[in-house]
Amino acid sequence: MSTTGSVRVAPGVSRGPGDHAPRRPPPWRRASRPWLLLAPTLVILGVLLLWPLARVVNLSFQEYGLRQLASGETNYVALDNYREILGSEYLWTVVLPNTVGFAVACVVLTVGLGTLVALFLNMLGTVWRSVCSTAIMVAWAVPAITGTYVWVWLFDPLNGLVANVLSSLGVIDPGTVNWFADRFGFYSIATLNVVHHGFPFVAITILAGLMTVPVELYEAAIMDGANAWRRFWQITVPMLKPIFAVVTILSTIWDFKVFTQIYLMPGGNGGNAEVFNLGVWSYIQSFAQGKYGMGSAIAVLLTGILLVITVVYMRTLFKEEDR
Amino acid sequence: MRRKGALPAIGRTLGVIAVLVFALFPAYWMISTAVDTDAARRGAALVPTAFTLSHFERVLDDGGFALFLRNSAIVAVGTVVVSALVALLAAVAVARFTFSFRKAMLVLILLVQMVPLEALVIPLFLQARNLQMLNSLLGLTIVYVAFSLPFAVWMLRGFVAAVPKEVEEAAYVDGASWGRMFRSILLPLVAPGVVATSVFSFITAWNEFIFALTFLQDADKYTVAVGLQRFFGQNTADWGAVMAASTLITLPVVVFFVIIQRRLASGLSAGAVKG
Repeated sequence: MSTTGSVRVAPGVSRGPGDHAPRRPPPWRRASRPWLLLAPTLVILGVLLLWPLARVVNLSFQEYGLRQLASGETNYVALDNYREILGSEYLWTVVLPNTVGFAVACVVLTVGLGTLVALFLNMLGTVWRSVCSTAIMVAWAVPAITGTYVWVWLFDPLNGLVANVLSSLGVIDPGTVNWFADRFGFYSIATLNVVHHGFPFVAITILAGLMTVPVELYEAAIMDGANAWRRFWQITVPMLKPIFAVVTILSTIWDFKVFTQIYLMPGGNGGNAEVFNLGVWSYIQSFAQGKYGMGSAIAVLLTGILLVITVVYMRTLFKEEDR
Repeated sequence: MRRKGALPAIGRTLGVIAVLVFALFPAYWMISTAVDTDAARRGAALVPTAFTLSHFERVLDDGGFALFLRNSAIVAVGTVVVSALVALLAAVAVARFTFSFRKAMLVLILLVQMVPLEALVIPLFLQARNLQMLNSLLGLTIVYVAFSLPFAVWMLRGFVAAVPKEVEEAAYVDGASWGRMFRSILLPLVAPGVVATSVFSFITAWNEFIFALTFLQDADKYTVAVGLQRFFGQNTADWGAVMAASTLITLPVVVFFVIIQRRLASGLSAGAVKG
């Protein structure tokens, strides 16, 4: 790569004072340049994200099944899909509790554990801190697909580690308990999986924030006789409020739309309707049942929930920026 | 270190052990099952009964996993190249120019970040079906570029903003055009950021599941995420093979992650917190 030096000796450029002025583009080009630079991004996002979003909303007002798929015709039914979804007991007793309960549990545990780990790492010396950070990075890096299979294997009812340990302790008889068949067991394992995958982001981000808090604040507090608990709530939390807000809301967005970790667990791909969340329900309706309109309506519902959370997120973020 | 005395040495040691075990145990269990001769019946044995590479051989030869790895690599590299290029241009626009819609752009990028893939998979499936792009690695690459772009722009923006404006001004004073300045000054300075962002795009494409599952129908087009399902029977799983294949998928990602970890943390906080 060439550097500043090679610019200076560029051939054919006379370097009298003021010579650079004619080389600067006219005002209209300067004004349009950001848009030129942004154009590829805008086109890609428009065609592959915004247009499909408009289309999924459009589909949600149709009864779009295999026949429409083959013929390409439209078949509008107004709000029928929404009426059916919102009127079904299945949504209110199974899918919504699954989605919301799971997301809340995951966010609380992820942020709690991530904060604890960050506080702990901040107390360590440089060597052990980087050893632990690297280990945490590994947990973060393991892809959701393979991570999920490892947890399924660990909790395998017949040959898995957990079943064998419990049966050797005499707690269960091997092969008699299937955690995946039970809704609570299923989601406990899924929560463990998602928290394990999600806490590193929280820990690393909060650790970076902790290192920016001036030591003097803590020293002054210690002189005033504040204990560790008070120092955390009176200094750390207020100082890191923007970071806590960001990690909490990002985790909330991510945990509401978990798909892979549910779909890949036994029963999650359609076998056990008791364990669906909104995302999986939408996918199964569309691609297993061929009811694309119904699936779209469920997806729109999920997107609406996420939209509300995102608006909250952005308000927090920009409030901090404007300060 | 600050407040080092606050925790007794024994507490620190136990804490370190707890963090290491919790963070690494699943990865350890995956790798140790992958090399266990009697993988399916290891039960609670913490150490494999005997060491073997036969699961890897079976996965790569009979399982066709070598082909899946190649497909995934093609898709991931294609995604990285296109999205790094496009994102860099956009990041310069958002970080350097104060134009009226700058904030609106950021809002758009964040909004896009939030859209659930479950909502996009239905219309994009119908679209790809009409365009005969189902079952094609190109179609999948195009989709992944769109998914990795918002985050790439978001992250690169922090790196571009960190380059002092004076350096650019100096180039203009020396008579460089904007294009020249971009190539010779800005690009080398943000190269580390481009690398970090590229790794992120690579991982996005390498790990993606729902679109690969929906788009790819023939086994010879499978990426690793979908190919992995092959080792599951109706009610049983060949755990040795599944864990060996999982190890092959996980290894490149973990290596990349650990290499860029420092940049990643600073890039994330620069992009997310500094607004």
